[in-house]
Amino acid sequence: MQNMVAVSSSGKVGSGRWSLVADHDAQIVVEGGCRAEIIIADSDAVVKLNITVEPNALLSVVHAVTAGGTTTIDYTLLEGASCRVTEVVLTSSELNISARLDAPMASFELDGAFILTGDERGSVKVDVAHNVADCTSRTSFKGVASGRATGRFSGLVYVAPDAQRTNSEQSSRNVVIGDAHIDTLPQLEIYADDVKCSHGATVGQMDSEAVLYMRQRGLSLVDAKRLQIEGFVADVAMHSSISDTAERLTELISAKLETL
Amino acid sequence: MFALVNSFCYFCTLIIKHCMAMSETKDKDILNSLETSEYKYGFVTDIETDTIGRGLSEDVIRLISEKKGEPEWMLERRLKAYRHWLTMKHPNWAHLDIPEIDFQDVIYYAAPKQKKVLNSMDEVDPELKRTFDKLGIPLEEQMALAGVAVDAVMDSVSVKTTFRETLAEKGIIFCSISEAIKEYPELIKKYLGSVVPYTDNFYSALNAAVFSDGSFCYIPKGVRCPMELSTYFRINAEGTGQFERTLIVADEGSYVSYLEGCTAPRRDENQLHAAVVEIVVEKDADVKYSTVQNWYPGDKDGKGGIYNFVTKRGLCREGAHLSWTQVETGSAITWKYPSCVLLGDNSSGEFYSVAMTNNYQQADTGTKMIHIGRNTRSRIVSKGISAGKSQNAYRGLVKVAKGAENARNYSQCDSLLIGDKCGAHTFPVVECHNSTAVLEHEATTSKISEDQLFYCNQRGLSTEDAVGLIVNGYAREVLAKLPMEFAVEAQKLLSLSLEGSVG
Amino acid sequence: MLKVENLHASVGDKEILKGINLEVKAGEVHAIMGPNGSGKSTLASVLAGNEKFTVTEGKVEFEGENLLDLAIEERSRKGIFLGFQYPVEIPGVTMANFMKLAVNEHRKARGEEPLSAAEYLKMMREKSAIVELDPKLTSRSVNEGFSGGEKKKNEIFQMAMLNPKLAILDETDSGLDIDALRIVATGVTRLHTPENATVVITHYQRLLDYIVPDYVHILYKGRIIYTGDKTLALKLEKEGYDWLINDYKEE
Repeated sequence: MQNMVAVSSSGKVGSGRWSLVADHDAQIVVEGGCRAEIIIADSDAVVKLNITVEPNALLSVVHAVTAGGTTTIDYTLLEGASCRVTEVVLTSSELNISARLDAPMASFELDGAFILTGDERGSVKVDVAHNVADCTSRTSFKGVASGRATGRFSGLVYVAPDAQRTNSEQSSRNVVIGDAHIDTLPQLEIYADDVKCSHGATVGQMDSEAVLYMRQRGLSLVDAKRLQIEGFVADVAMHSSISDTAERLTELISAKLETL
Repeated sequence: MFALVNSFCYFCTLIIKHCMAMSETKDKDILNSLETSEYKYGFVTDIETDTIGRGLSEDVIRLISEKKGEPEWMLERRLKAYRHWLTMKHPNWAHLDIPEIDFQDVIYYAAPKQKKVLNSMDEVDPELKRTFDKLGIPLEEQMALAGVAVDAVMDSVSVKTTFRETLAEKGIIFCSISEAIKEYPELIKKYLGSVVPYTDNFYSALNAAVFSDGSFCYIPKGVRCPMELSTYFRINAEGTGQFERTLIVADEGSYVSYLEGCTAPRRDENQLHAAVVEIVVEKDADVKYSTVQNWYPGDKDGKGGIYNFVTKRGLCREGAHLSWTQVETGSAITWKYPSCVLLGDNSSGEFYSVAMTNNYQQADTGTKMIHIGRNTRSRIVSKGISAGKSQNAYRGLVKVAKGAENARNYSQCDSLLIGDKCGAHTFPVVECHNSTAVLEHEATTSKISEDQLFYCNQRGLSTEDAVGLIVNGYAREVLAKLPMEFAVEAQKLLSLSLEGSVG
Repeated sequence: MLKVENLHASVGDKEILKGINLEVKAGEVHAIMGPNGSGKSTLASVLAGNEKFTVTEGKVEFEGENLLDLAIEERSRKGIFLGFQYPVEIPGVTMANFMKLAVNEHRKARGEEPLSAAEYLKMMREKSAIVELDPKLTSRSVNEGFSGGEKKKNEIFQMAMLNPKLAILDETDSGLDIDALRIVATGVTRLHTPENATVVITHYQRLLDYIVPDYVHILYKGRIIYTGDKTLALKLEKEGYDWLINDYKEE
């Protein structure tokens, strides 16, 4: 964790790793052409972060929601900018992400998961706006809810008129355990014809044959299921956009899964 | 139970309102045509125009009920619905741009229209005749639909009688809803409003207050209806009015296939249609409801056309099955979500839809699958096709209630865009309250590729034929669910509706 | 039958064909060979009328008629068949339906009545046998889920159905194993008569073991730089293109 520098409420960041405590609103500009990594530390406040990624910059963001609160992160991507985000939601909270692809060749990728237990209530909203042609986006969010928890994923991909050659994927995969409740709303709003947009959503249980297999090898039902769910969400951590945070995220997820 | 059903208004928070420029003149045109269309036929002489006038009031409802010779209990129901309607606001959550409708400027009761009877096919509008020919509708039916005196060629009365006899033998009741209110009050009291209560939504309340007429169908226990009720329906297609009400009751273990509408263009003078269709599918019964909707969509500049705001819902008891199939190509605005309430254990629902919009048409359609019973299954296949400057949205809700163990849903929503001025939207909502449910939703968006057109052209097909072929291929899965004869006509209809959309 | 004079064509600003001259007479088989990117597929597409390419100069006559004035489907109905290198998939449209429409459009263009269902089925059975195409494939969607070999067989099946005067086969041999290659090539040979002509575009000599060409043309950088007989193909197989290209460079 070298070069780790804290970001204050506003300012420009260049190449290197930055940490940001999400306890106040902030406006951040990632300078053109650089490669920046931002690790967002959670707080229980209501905050709004505006992050602009300048032309040809590459930004990676990792954010684990552990304190709750309401976090809104608006990304604006300029020409050729690329942004990879990893979000892990582990407690009651509201997370609103928006990405505006405002110039050609911009690319936005989001991998995330929420795990909610007990009486927790979590809501994740991801709006991706393809405002111009030739941009790509991919959103993949996984949800696990157990106990009496309520989880909600709402995604919208908007493709503006003339945003031709848009390539967008959106997926929402969810597992409900016990008396929990999950809603998912993967939405598309498309005004251009030469586009490739797909979305998929599933709500279901884990593959029961795999559980049987594991039990046959001696695992308890509870352990087998937990292992399976860990497998389901852990790849979000393993493929974290900042690779050396993978371990920390995996730990957080495992600890959370213990409470299922 | 209906609290669950009502959750559709939930959408309103989710929608990004899309605004399409709709000029004031268009609003005026619509109101004008509402006026002129109603005036054209006027009231029956024994009703004093000045005492009723336009608009809606308890007096108007009393009058409608009186005109129809309804019993007191029916009037009470209408009034109750009206009083409730007064407390409601026009919903605005759909992805539609609807000009404001002044409900006090509509005339709610017009006498049955006297169609002008033509003497031969030569008097029929050539444009209409061309469409009939393209659809391949038999001459007899063309005449019936165009309002030519059919008795000359076909004894419609005897055909009708034959149908009636066949149905009566099986104990099947199939008549107008007005007739049913008088003849079968117990069935109507029991079932009317039991699936779509007047409190359900703005238009269902309005419909419950003012419905003009519609169909009633009752299939007794264990009876398999021996014919597509469409056949009967098509030949007897009369102006059913703007506030149509349909009630189908399939008693235990029965089966019926019902087809609403017609591939032939319906020339209807009413601008606003707010129909309600209720289906009760009792234990182990099976109902297949198919719709082909080809009402006037307005001209290529988006002028005129019908507003089709429909509430359609079926209630499935234990082991029951309900399948909705719709091919929607007409109307300026289509707004409907044929739904299944899967109340009984092991019940299942299906929704197959092709919605095509061209020019300035708008469609916001889809389904709701409400899983309440255990082991309930549902399947949704929606194919949207947008061309011209149209907007086409799929909106769906899959809801699994707490007790709905082992519920399964599969949804597939595809959009095909033709041209770069149209829009295709997908707004699915999946709500899951049970951990044993398995729900899948998939959606794709595609266009007709240049490569596909080149390939077809190279084999000698014109571009228009190629587009028709590709669109029909795209919609095949849904068309295959239609009764055979309509599938063929619906295919032609899709090609026809696309005319002028490919340059 | 086909007369191409000084044909230039481009896509966008990029000129791909830079003056092609080619004459094909009835009864002849021509092979067009050349390294990747030399313009072989473009030539096929331009002759078929693909609007992606703009003809900037030159003339193409087909049976005395100006081909360039005709739309793609009109060329098809006049008897030009293009066997695609990458046959496109058309979901939901069955092969049988697709071909029925195509065959009847061709018949209409010749002033003939459409085929009855029985005649059509009989024709399909006969023609699919030529390329040993599994008859079940005709009830599947056009090219959807077909293997590489099935797609190519399907192209030759369609050629048999439409009975063209001039068949242009674009890399029909690519992606085929030796059995499929034999079947496809035998099919093409069986369809060849003194009244029609075949232009085979290929990379490899191996196809020409089955389809014996009267002429072999080498296309390079948008021009035909060399024309020879079937021995040319064998020489290319052994020695590659370099000697030709080098010659050309020296010119």
